Amino acid sequence: MLDIDAASTAAPLPSPAPRVLEIRFTGSGSEYFRIWAVNLLLILVTLGLYLPFAKARRIRYFYANTLVDGQALSFHGDPWKMFRGFLLLVVLMGAYTFAGKVSATAAVVAFLILCAVWPALWRASLQFRLGNTSWRGLRMRFDGALKDAYLACAPLYLPLIAFVVWSRLNVPDAVDRAAVEAYGRTSLLVMGVVLLLSPLSFALFKRYQHDGYRIAGQQARLDLSNGRVYLLSLKLVGVTLASTLLSGLVVGLLAFGVFALIGFKPDMSSPFAQAGFMAIGLLVYLLVFAVVLPFGAARMQNLAWNGTRSQALSFRSALKFRSLFGLTLKNWLLTALTLSLYRPFATVATARLRLEAVQIESQDDPVDWVAASLPGHADATGDIAGDFFGIDMGL
Amino acid sequence: MPSSPRLAADWFDGRSARAQPVEVWLAGATLHFGDQTAPLHSLTWPERQRHGQRQVLLPGGGLLSFADAAAFDAWALASGRSDSALVRWQQSWRLAALSLVLLVASLWAAYLWGLPWAVDRAVDVLPRAAEQRLGEHLLSGLDSDLLKPSGLAADRQRAWRQRWDKSLSQARANGGPAVPERFEIHFRDGGKALGPNAFALPGGDIVITDQLLELLDDEPDAVLTVLAHELGHVQHRHGLRLMLRAGAIGVVASVVVGDFSTLLAAAPALLASNAYSRDNEREADLYARTLARAGGVDASRMAVFFERVAKKREAAVESHPVAIAISSHPADEERVKFFGEP
Repeated sequence: MLDIDAASTAAPLPSPAPRVLEIRFTGSGSEYFRIWAVNLLLILVTLGLYLPFAKARRIRYFYANTLVDGQALSFHGDPWKMFRGFLLLVVLMGAYTFAGKVSATAAVVAFLILCAVWPALWRASLQFRLGNTSWRGLRMRFDGALKDAYLACAPLYLPLIAFVVWSRLNVPDAVDRAAVEAYGRTSLLVMGVVLLLSPLSFALFKRYQHDGYRIAGQQARLDLSNGRVYLLSLKLVGVTLASTLLSGLVVGLLAFGVFALIGFKPDMSSPFAQAGFMAIGLLVYLLVFAVVLPFGAARMQNLAWNGTRSQALSFRSALKFRSLFGLTLKNWLLTALTLSLYRPFATVATARLRLEAVQIESQDDPVDWVAASLPGHADATGDIAGDFFGIDMGL
Repeated sequence: MPSSPRLAADWFDGRSARAQPVEVWLAGATLHFGDQTAPLHSLTWPERQRHGQRQVLLPGGGLLSFADAAAFDAWALASGRSDSALVRWQQSWRLAALSLVLLVASLWAAYLWGLPWAVDRAVDVLPRAAEQRLGEHLLSGLDSDLLKPSGLAADRQRAWRQRWDKSLSQARANGGPAVPERFEIHFRDGGKALGPNAFALPGGDIVITDQLLELLDDEPDAVLTVLAHELGHVQHRHGLRLMLRAGAIGVVASVVVGDFSTLLAAAPALLASNAYSRDNEREADLYARTLARAGGVDASRMAVFFERVAKKREAAVESHPVAIAISSHPADEERVKFFGEP
């Protein structure tokens, strides 16, 4: 098999020129549709207990279809371990919900406990997911420190925690107008602070995640300044305003044109006209989201991955807003028209677009890499926690 | 012994990224690859799909990679590995479609029978004190939001209470239906938002608005029947049932509809609560008619109530059309007939 003598006597190869590791996604919507349909039924008839098994099968399908330089990723996660983690989370969330029904103090205590364990769960989920992902037989790892997970969460968590504790313990008397107004003012202030801090938090989250990624001897680093995230957030605000104005104008003109064309004068006091105008408002609202969400997603993916490199690897993400916008519109429309039967197709199409927008450039030939350490045993609790609230790898 | 079919694979040992070309074959319950072996039960075997690569995960972190998926599937079949039931299932369009049909059918069955059953069990178990606390919480929320203190003079309030108590004690004397252990009538100003209205909260708090009393000032029997109707809701614990149902449906809907939109997730809960409340209305109507008759109250006067509320509603369409357009009203005529039945 592996002829060690032959390898050592061969002339040393010159260090290879940087090569591009293309990412290809070969999943098919129609195939994933059938996996999804069967998964859904099994989840329902088991009252949700099948969820972690369905998740493992879904990840396996997506990994087997994600080819990096011609080699697929593999998922080694044990669904039974994921099941354990799933049960733990159900108990945790159940206790949290129950505490909320018992008393205000119990709810605050439960909320604080949840906040206290959440960063640890987040880290565990990253460790589990990375630790069970391999490429060319090499396990990935997540090396972020526990302390850093808490530090990354602090700027968003602390004001929120302070506010939740304060507000649950100081519910104003409805009769006391001044107290109600003060309560409202504080809520607005906290919302403002959280909004101002969220770009910083995004940068901290991404830095924590990407800085912890490892494969073989490669240690990823994300070069992402807070300033660039704030700039992107400003653009996002601009796009929101512009798209609101534009879609309002377009939809309004369209409605006006149609009315003029068919000679219809809407009687504003009739319920049908009012419902019609509400529908128009809803359309504008959805259009704004159809612009803002893909814009944010595309730019953030590019920002996070373009700044990521390791000793030998550098990432390039060129996800175009225009393609993601078109896809989002199509996905929403077809999902709505098919009563969500289109969802698995949408998931596959989005994964393809987002994955194939990324390119990896390598200074080494990865064939020469060797594992840095034995695969670790991560706990699956965090993995489901990450999925539960949509915290997952950015890619 | 016939030789088992062989297939070329790339073996990654989990330590080096270099692929080692090996031949793979099955012998009994053992997988051979090159000069290595692994028992079949220790492997993670890939599912047959049309797309993607096939990987057999080895114990200890290595894997065998098969770039040609079709060749792998043919080899696995020839080696006596048949598809699992699950794989056969999801490979077939017909069975996948069937599972969607079954999914919808079981959701429908759960909604039709499972949910009411679960809610009834939960209502049986939930202590009255918890229900009462919920009601108090709701009432204080309404008080800060939609309701204002009643503008009704104290002696008028007292007069209504006396009429109500008198009809109740008469009903008790005549062997009328059982009355809830705890209930309380609250007079409130419903303002523009609620208008002429009466409603029961979980735990036995019944709110009746000044506007309704004003509308039916000359029809005390109609007012007493309305109150009896609300008492029916309390007796059957409809408020609690409604909240539990809406809550459960909301949870299920948000799982099924997923991340798509909270708007969509809220819709089924809203629709379902309306459908349920119709059944509850009928139940409360029956209770009200029985109680009213036992209490010497003429329930057929409800016809006046429906007539006046309908007139009010027509007038309100001019000012609040959308609110009316989306709210549900059980057929008035049917209910008028029901209360008028001899």
